[in-house]
Amino acid sequence: MFSALAYQLSSKFLEEQKCAPVKRRTMSKKPAAQPTLHKVIMVGSGGVGKSALTLQFMYDEFVEDYEPTKADSYRKKVVLDGEEVQIDILDTAGQEDYAAIRDNYFRSGEGFLCVFSITEPESFDATQEFREQILRVKNDENIPFLLVGNKSDLADKRRVPLDSCRERAQHWQVPYVETSAKTRDNVDKVFFDLMREIRSRKSDDSRATNGDVKGKKRRKIKCAIL
Amino acid sequence: MGPPPVVTGISPKEGPPGTRVTIRGEFLGTSAIDLIGLKICGCDCLLSAEWKSKNKIVARSGPCKGRGDIIVTTRSGGEGTSTVQFRGYHESIGPVKESAVWVEEAAPPSLPWGRRPMSPTTYTPPDPLGLSTEGDDCKFPEEELNEMFPDGSGKLSDDNFQPGWYLLEHHSNTSYEDLKAGMVFLQRKVESQKEGQLSFLKANTGAVMDQLDRLVLLKNMYEEDERKNGKEPLPSLQAAIEESITLADSLFSEILSRKDNADKTREALSLLTRHKFLFQLPASIDRNIRKKEYDLVVNDYTRVKNLFGNTDVKLFQKILAEIDKKIEDLKEKLYTRMKTMPINVQEQTKYIRLLISLNWEGDAAWVAITSRKEYLMSLMNKVKDHFKQKEEQESNEKGKRKSKESEWLGGWGAVRGAWVAAAAGALAAQLHALWPLARRYFAGELAGEPTSTQRQADLKEMIIAAVELFSEHMRACLLSPGGGKLVPTDTLRVRLVANLRHLREAYDSLLKLDLPSQPLSIVEKVIFDYRVHGMTVFLQRAHKRVKGLAEKETWKIEEYSDYGAITNLPHLLETYLNEAFSAIHKCVVTSGRRESPLLADHGEPAAILQRHTQQILLAYVTVLQDLALNHEDQEFNNSNLSVALEQRGEEVGGGPAGPAPPASWQLRLLLAGANAAYTRRHTLAAIATAIHNFGFPKQNQALQATKEALSTLESTIAETYLEHKGDPLVGTIEPSMDMGRHKTDADAVVDDARPYVYEIINNLIAVHAEVDSVSGAASSRYVRDICETVCEELARLAALGSPGAPMSPAAAFQARLEYTLLRLACAEHLTRKAENHLMEALAGIPPIESEEEKKRMDTIVQGFKKRMELQLASLNCNMETV
Repeated sequence: MFSALAYQLSSKFLEEQKCAPVKRRTMSKKPAAQPTLHKVIMVGSGGVGKSALTLQFMYDEFVEDYEPTKADSYRKKVVLDGEEVQIDILDTAGQEDYAAIRDNYFRSGEGFLCVFSITEPESFDATQEFREQILRVKNDENIPFLLVGNKSDLADKRRVPLDSCRERAQHWQVPYVETSAKTRDNVDKVFFDLMREIRSRKSDDSRATNGDVKGKKRRKIKCAIL
Repeated sequence: MGPPPVVTGISPKEGPPGTRVTIRGEFLGTSAIDLIGLKICGCDCLLSAEWKSKNKIVARSGPCKGRGDIIVTTRSGGEGTSTVQFRGYHESIGPVKESAVWVEEAAPPSLPWGRRPMSPTTYTPPDPLGLSTEGDDCKFPEEELNEMFPDGSGKLSDDNFQPGWYLLEHHSNTSYEDLKAGMVFLQRKVESQKEGQLSFLKANTGAVMDQLDRLVLLKNMYEEDERKNGKEPLPSLQAAIEESITLADSLFSEILSRKDNADKTREALSLLTRHKFLFQLPASIDRNIRKKEYDLVVNDYTRVKNLFGNTDVKLFQKILAEIDKKIEDLKEKLYTRMKTMPINVQEQTKYIRLLISLNWEGDAAWVAITSRKEYLMSLMNKVKDHFKQKEEQESNEKGKRKSKESEWLGGWGAVRGAWVAAAAGALAAQLHALWPLARRYFAGELAGEPTSTQRQADLKEMIIAAVELFSEHMRACLLSPGGGKLVPTDTLRVRLVANLRHLREAYDSLLKLDLPSQPLSIVEKVIFDYRVHGMTVFLQRAHKRVKGLAEKETWKIEEYSDYGAITNLPHLLETYLNEAFSAIHKCVVTSGRRESPLLADHGEPAAILQRHTQQILLAYVTVLQDLALNHEDQEFNNSNLSVALEQRGEEVGGGPAGPAPPASWQLRLLLAGANAAYTRRHTLAAIATAIHNFGFPKQNQALQATKEALSTLESTIAETYLEHKGDPLVGTIEPSMDMGRHKTDADAVVDDARPYVYEIINNLIAVHAEVDSVSGAASSRYVRDICETVCEELARLAALGSPGAPMSPAAAFQARLEYTLLRLACAEHLTRKAENHLMEALAGIPPIESEEEKKRMDTIVQGFKKRMELQLASLNCNMETV
């Protein structure tokens, strides 16, 4: 790890020193050239509407037909409180088949939208597991996290009481938001709220001088900023 | 020009080549035509791209590896950019992994199961830094390298070689000092290489100069050439080439056409070879039919039907039609063969099966069954006709030779026997064939419609019809009334047994077939009837022989039994009956398998037996009677009343019939009586025992009737005898007495009985001797009767004489003496009745008064006894006492 960093530094140094024209393109993470990137990960049981939320947010479209997701990646520029940032959304698979590869995805996430369907108590129960897995992988109690109760348009089929949702959110000390991917109700809100959390979390981290616990990640981020 | 396309979403974000990818973004083209380029990870995927909307394209990833942008190019917006990346990876496909691609699983085990070390395909230059490479244990993750150098490569020989990649890959753990040393090493190496080039030029100056000279020479030659041939050498070259093309064409056209022909021929040949089976089939069918390999034909036919049944090819159809025709012929042939009798069952079954497998329309098995039955019927009729004809022929021949003495044996001829054998054999054999066939048919083994009940009933009718025909023929053959002539017993018995055996064999074989009981019972009835017939014949024969006994009587005394002397008649009777019984017993009584016993109680045959036995016995009685009484008229005409004693001598040769019986009628009478008695007492018992021994039902009724008849006969005989014997004897008394009485002098001293007394005694002795010689113990009866008659006569005479005048003492003495003497003489034979008569006679005589007279009478009686001792003894003894 260390040598990788060292190499990155040295190569940059060489570049500047020699000022030699390099035929390859600049690196994708060109410092300062790109707006801040917030990596959001959608988690939750299969069929709760993670992809629907994502697509609604990304392209203002509601997809009726259901096609299980494996792992989708979206990224676009948005304006967050007047600042242009990039949001990178990793839409993961809810199905248990892919449970084994979730760890890898979660590792790169900076914020999590934990989605369940208010018409399906099993999906609400499953949020507990997702939460635990995320905390285990990230090793961080305060990771940006939103509990999202989707399908609020189907209030007549509601089977998860609002109280228990709020109770759980309170217990986890995370915000609870009810959305509808169909009506686009609260869709933007959950993404922007999460990005704000991520942003404030990042600024906290950068302010902190010592942070050995998450050294690797912070260093990486620092490098990116550099 | 619109805005360039921007890809902002990818679903999924990674996958193996061929993954269906949904690409989302903005300005992805205004229409499908607008989309002119799509690259995923550098692989062109336009071919699989499906333009959905300006925000969405669906495509399949190409054979890319690693992470890469998705670049959409549109006519309207040009080349676009991507904010997301797709990562392609190669999946190793193992046996348990679903795959759209065919994986040769039998391939050597180098492919599956992940990455295995393979022999390096590219040359890797030795370590350029002169540092030993690190082990594999702390490899730098390739993914991060890919991320850090998206367009780079760690290979020294690649264009996009990235020293950083190389160092991280190989020397990530090498210390800075070592790296510096490596740098120095590398620089030195480069220096030495540069140095090497310069020295190379220096060392080869001569060669280089030489090359330059050559180049100049070449240039000069070229310029000279150009001058010589002009600036344009091409047209002439073109002409030459065209000419050569024409020439080549003309040269090769022939060869090419030949080749075409050859190809066509080859094709036709291969077609022929491929469908050799079909083309050769007609011939092979013919051949196989000739060889009788019908199974092969059927198999071939089925195969060809399966292969070419629905063919549209004209040629094939033609051949198929030919084959079909042959098969039709074959079917016809098989059908005819199947129907043509005689044929054994296996073969017939084979034909049936063949017909079935050739889809012969119709019920082959049923036809076979029917034809078999027809054959059986006609066979029976043929057998019948044949033997009838033969018989007629024979009898004609015989008739020519000796018309009178026709040896027409009726049911016992040898021809009939042969007929029975033939018919029984035919029935058994044909039913043996027919029944299993039918059974298999109804078991459904031979197709057709075995389930129909009509068929079952038909079959039953057929079998019954056949069996009935058989039984009818047999009845006609065997049970017809026999000829008039008596057949020798042995022949009869042999024929009977043989015929019965044939019938039983047939019956047995039918039994073995498990035929229904109805036809069986028909055959059984024939056998039974034949047995009864046989029995009847035997009995009739016995009857006839017994009737003929009269002619056999020789009057020769065979034996002196307890019941008097007998001739051989009773023995003959016994013998005849025994013969008949033993023949019956041997031939017909024993029942075969599943035959009803012949002589069941109250059965008809038992009644027949009874009737015949009785008839035989009564016939015997009649014979005896005839023998005893028939000739009397003549006899009596001849007989002299007064010479009864001499008759035996005189009658020699006077018998009316028979070659040898010189016996007098008295003798015959007595013999007949003795025979009757013997038969009654002894022979009948023997016969009863014989009947019992043969296990026949008891013939009590017949025996009883016979006994009675015999008793009657005996008494008739006795009466007749007495009548003819006693009457003359008695008749002589009176004249003799009168003769003496005239001479009687009242005063004369009576010193002896008058001669009539002696005459009576002599006559009695004669009778006694005659009777005793024949009848033995039974003789006393006759003698008694005569004595009785004599006494009665005396009493009558005494009564006649007394009422006239009182008798003189001398006459009275005389009479008393005479009666006393007679009484003495006949003492043995006097019955109570006779005694009474004598007493009555004596009572009429005055008793003797004086002692002197009494004495005198005693003296006379003693004298008489002395004189007549021999006579008296002969009169009073029997055969036994002699």
